[in-house]
Amino acid sequence: MNRGAWPLLIGLLLGVVAGLTYAWAIDPVEFVGSSPASLHSEAQADYLTLIASAYAATGDLPRARTRLALFPGPNAAEMLGALAQARLASGRPPSEAQALALLAGDLGVRPSPPPGLTPRVATGVPAAPPTITRTPSPRPSPTVTLTPGAPFQVDRRELECDATLRVPRIRLLVLDAAGQGVPRIEVVVLWDTGQDHFYTGLKPELGNGYGDFTMTEGVTYTVRLAESGALVTGVETEPCVDESGGVYPGSWWLVFVQPPPP
Amino acid sequence: MLHLLRTFRFWIGLILGLAAALLYGWVLQPVRVADTSLVSLRQDYRTDYVLMVAEAYDGEGELSLAVQRLAALGPETPAQYVDEAVAYASDQAFAVDDLERLTRLARDLQSAPPSPAASSP
Repeated sequence: MNRGAWPLLIGLLLGVVAGLTYAWAIDPVEFVGSSPASLHSEAQADYLTLIASAYAATGDLPRARTRLALFPGPNAAEMLGALAQARLASGRPPSEAQALALLAGDLGVRPSPPPGLTPRVATGVPAAPPTITRTPSPRPSPTVTLTPGAPFQVDRRELECDATLRVPRIRLLVLDAAGQGVPRIEVVVLWDTGQDHFYTGLKPELGNGYGDFTMTEGVTYTVRLAESGALVTGVETEPCVDESGGVYPGSWWLVFVQPPPP
Repeated sequence: MLHLLRTFRFWIGLILGLAAALLYGWVLQPVRVADTSLVSLRQDYRTDYVLMVAEAYDGEGELSLAVQRLAALGPETPAQYVDEAVAYASDQAFAVDDLERLTRLARDLQSAPPSPAASSP
């Protein structure tokens, strides 16, 4: 090597060392002024839960939406629903899951009625002509329209032979007297050797009042709404046959409805 | 003359090295702000966090839960974070309801008896 190049190389090396030492040791980057989106996953979960808790207290949906917009993601309602399940599974207070479910439900789009269920809406109203531009209706209030004290009744109990549901489930829908899905209803599932519970509204994409539970073949379950006591007994998997003659376990579709006030 | 040339080359190398290091650190491999904690939240976000704690406290009425949530913001006392939030919210002309919520939380924190952990030496 040309001896004249040595000073250049030594200077270069010292420059790199000095630059990195300054950048990494003497004056390292301090993480201040970060946004909620840059939080680590656990802190994000806490932040999202706090958004839901604040919403549960204030009912201010636009503000909750603004706060959720800080977190990138295609579907905030699904994200909150999944978080509610995760928090519930990890033994966090049920109030957290309820707040998350409430916000997820209020953010979610009201789904079409489940198969076989007649929607309880006024009939005979002519459909609006397609040329009319509709003013967007206001967002639903987070207040649950329940008739206080009125119990729920079992409205429907059907075996579902749906080949796409390869895992048998108890699928459940809770509706108020107006036919609206009711989130945050605790559902207790009991069987011979144990019990579990879940809440409606944790999967808002399937309805505010929707919840499900994975069944084990050969086990008989009793399903009860915790507060009202409405009960379905003897729920167990039943064999279904698909188009190719294969047998698979069917799921159960249960609908609980609050009767209209007298 | 030769010594002068060597010195010149050394300084050229040093400047090039510094420039290369900064180019690497700031352009090619810039720092990605990720996996941060609540401690590093920007002031406006931190104020909104405290406001959410105050809103939730309004609904839940559990001061211990509010303290627990505020403690996640860092090593200062919960009351300090609320005081900072009140000051920021006043400067930024937050809504009266929000200021009242923050003030109420600050007042309840000050009037609450100190926790055993806080009073121990």
